[in-house]
Amino acid sequence: MTAGAPWLLSPSALRGEPPHRRGISTHRHILRTWIAAAAVVGFVGCALFGIDALRVIIVTLIFTFGVDLMFVVSLRRASSGRLSRTFLIGVLAGLTLPADVDWHVAAICGTVSAAVGNVIFGGWLHPALVGRVFVQFLFWEKLSLAGATVALGPVLSAANLFVGDLNQAVRVEHYQGWLETTPPPPADALELTPPLWSLRQFAQGQIPADGRLIFEPLLRDSLPPWIDTLIGAVPGGIGETSTLAIVVVGFFLIYRGYLRWQLPVAVLTSAFVAASILPIESGGDYVWFPVFAIEGGRAVGLAYVLYHLTAGQLMLGAFLLAGDVVSSPMRAHGQVVYGIGIGVLTIFMRLYGVLECECYWAILIMNVLVGTIDRFTSRRILGTAPADDSVAA
Amino acid sequence: MQMSLLTHLLGPRSAFDGGLYLPDRKAGLARRPIQTLHPEGPLHVPLTVRRDLTTEPVVRKGDRVVLGQALSRATNDQAVGVHAPCAGEILSLERVWTVEDGFLPGAVLVPDGSSDKVPQHQGWDDESIIVQLAECGVVCDMPRAPLHVVMRDAIAAGVTDLIVNAMETEPYLTADLRTLVEYPGRMIDATCELADALGVSRAILAVPFRHRRVVRRLQSEAAGRYVEIVALSNPYPQCHPVMLVKAILDREVAPGASILSEDAVVLPLATVRRASDAILSDLPTTHALMTVAGDAVEHAGTYRVPVGTPLARLAKRVGMLAPAAQAVYGGPLTGSAFGYEDAVVTHDSKALLLFGRADVSRPVPCVRCGWCIEDCPVGIDPPALMRLETEATCSEPKRIALRACIECGLCSHVCPSRLPLSETIIRNRIRFAGTESAPEGGTRH
Repeated sequence: MTAGAPWLLSPSALRGEPPHRRGISTHRHILRTWIAAAAVVGFVGCALFGIDALRVIIVTLIFTFGVDLMFVVSLRRASSGRLSRTFLIGVLAGLTLPADVDWHVAAICGTVSAAVGNVIFGGWLHPALVGRVFVQFLFWEKLSLAGATVALGPVLSAANLFVGDLNQAVRVEHYQGWLETTPPPPADALELTPPLWSLRQFAQGQIPADGRLIFEPLLRDSLPPWIDTLIGAVPGGIGETSTLAIVVVGFFLIYRGYLRWQLPVAVLTSAFVAASILPIESGGDYVWFPVFAIEGGRAVGLAYVLYHLTAGQLMLGAFLLAGDVVSSPMRAHGQVVYGIGIGVLTIFMRLYGVLECECYWAILIMNVLVGTIDRFTSRRILGTAPADDSVAA
Repeated sequence: MQMSLLTHLLGPRSAFDGGLYLPDRKAGLARRPIQTLHPEGPLHVPLTVRRDLTTEPVVRKGDRVVLGQALSRATNDQAVGVHAPCAGEILSLERVWTVEDGFLPGAVLVPDGSSDKVPQHQGWDDESIIVQLAECGVVCDMPRAPLHVVMRDAIAAGVTDLIVNAMETEPYLTADLRTLVEYPGRMIDATCELADALGVSRAILAVPFRHRRVVRRLQSEAAGRYVEIVALSNPYPQCHPVMLVKAILDREVAPGASILSEDAVVLPLATVRRASDAILSDLPTTHALMTVAGDAVEHAGTYRVPVGTPLARLAKRVGMLAPAAQAVYGGPLTGSAFGYEDAVVTHDSKALLLFGRADVSRPVPCVRCGWCIEDCPVGIDPPALMRLETEATCSEPKRIALRACIECGLCSHVCPSRLPLSETIIRNRIRFAGTESAPEGGTRH
């Protein structure tokens, strides 16, 4: 520096407010990381459900984004970060839909997510789920598992990932598991029973007991191998099924600090406990504490409870949907309460409810209670008595 | 404070809820020894240490002064005089600009390069330490007042605990750490003297646990003395007096109350260092120990700078890699940015941070992430207080929350939406402070 050179660039130096070194995470970083996480799950979904999955996600995304852009332009409301969030909502809404829906279902889901969830409700109910449960009602006969004697859904076989045609699905007798089964040559995909449907049927006593064996018929005949539910090779929403992918991206979000670990832990633990305790109906009476059931020397009860965790929806809900920053409680303590509510409600509604998308309903119900949870988990101000801590939320 | 094996291996736990372990950015900085910058060019010495403390000059234009000679004299017992930081000639008496107080009366001193100084005499024992501190013009950093006033208030309040605060948990700052590395015995001695003068039953020196060698050195220096070395975990803002009282004494200071109400007094290490010069060496405060750092600074380090040095000249002396887009006076979280070229070093300057790139991100609406609530060291709800900005009245719980804020700046630091939370809280505290004492209502409408 020479003596005459300026040492201060004056105009920009006039910002007098601390802090002068900001933390590195902005809302943009948070949203981009979340979008990347959702995209990874979507990628795995595309592998399992083929080009149809990509089509559903893109249609949802276009409509969510387009409708929100329309509102931003027409209401002249410009706030940065908003469109990134809309993008995230579009991807998440796509992930909750099955791959074999018509394009107009995806379009309506995206439109309602943006218009009702994001613009009218302002995001305090998770917008993607608002759209999802709306189309669940609107296209009940297409999306619902109930009513059919045997619900079926397609999954690409292991040899035809990404490129297979989901419409050429065949039903396989004596299904041994996704990795072991190859469909007959013209078909690319397998018609399988969604594990969620099997679990619901079982809880209502629709799967008859085999002599004294209550759980064995469910595990042996109705459910795919547990490893399939980890990989995600079971029918269901595009992003709902692949437990492994969801857990990996969830851990990444936790590692980056954009998701509190307490929330998925609370959801999964409480769902585990609820599924362990809540009774199932079998032959006219109720079997409490199914987790302790042992049949033929096998811990079938524990297997049944683990299927509840990985069968679909709950993992996506715990890691990617419940942790949405806008619609979840502010503090970790509150998120534990919120997570416990989601886990218990999900299992309760799955066992005894008539509504499908039970995890999504549970999240929406708990979203309503977020304000109350926040109020009851507010912090005590240092130097005041515990009674004085109610800074109105 | 006995340390268990686990504590010794893993370090102590954070003693309060909230707080954040910030990247300390002291790595290379803290290794460089303290360097004294000798005056070059005229010094613009402020003649008082705070705007409301009045002094009268005792020199006139054209006088020759020597190092340590009084330039001004206190007119009442709340103020202190100021001493010449070098030998030289008084060019004129004119006002000088300081970052914290704006314009202050000052003197322009042209150094003549000689090392003449006022003779030191060791005969202060017949006076009390407090008189000696007042005569040497020792100022305290927090609260910003002359040290003898702080000590008098503490004695009047009957404090039982003295905590010396060497917890520099803000990034970049290294002055306290270097002081502990270079003058550990002197700091212990001065702490003992101050504790004697205050009549406290416990004298505690709080240091960060992570500087283990410093802690061990201090413990050996303090062996047999009644200064207790307490090594604490250092989440920001452990350096704040309220947090120290909570962590060490487990007492909670009521919102807005003084530390003295909990029978404790917290003195920053920088203050004790100045007091050590006055008590042990009979030297008045004439230099400030400052960290000069930031990515625009070439030779970042800890410098002993004569009071009155213009910050522009200080920046040039330490060398700059690029013109600073952002200049900060004080720590990165509690300091203030300034753009006025003529600001000078004062008695309680602690840092000059120069950054080549300014943070210009604009705030966006709150996303309710809750990070500020989790990290707030005193447990207030910054977004709720942010909404006071558009309201005309303030409810009593919010008023308590406003008073409880310790202005650490952590909420603004972590906010991903870049909201000016801390600044809004401080502004609203000032705004609603006036309505508080209004009789009947004010809160009720």
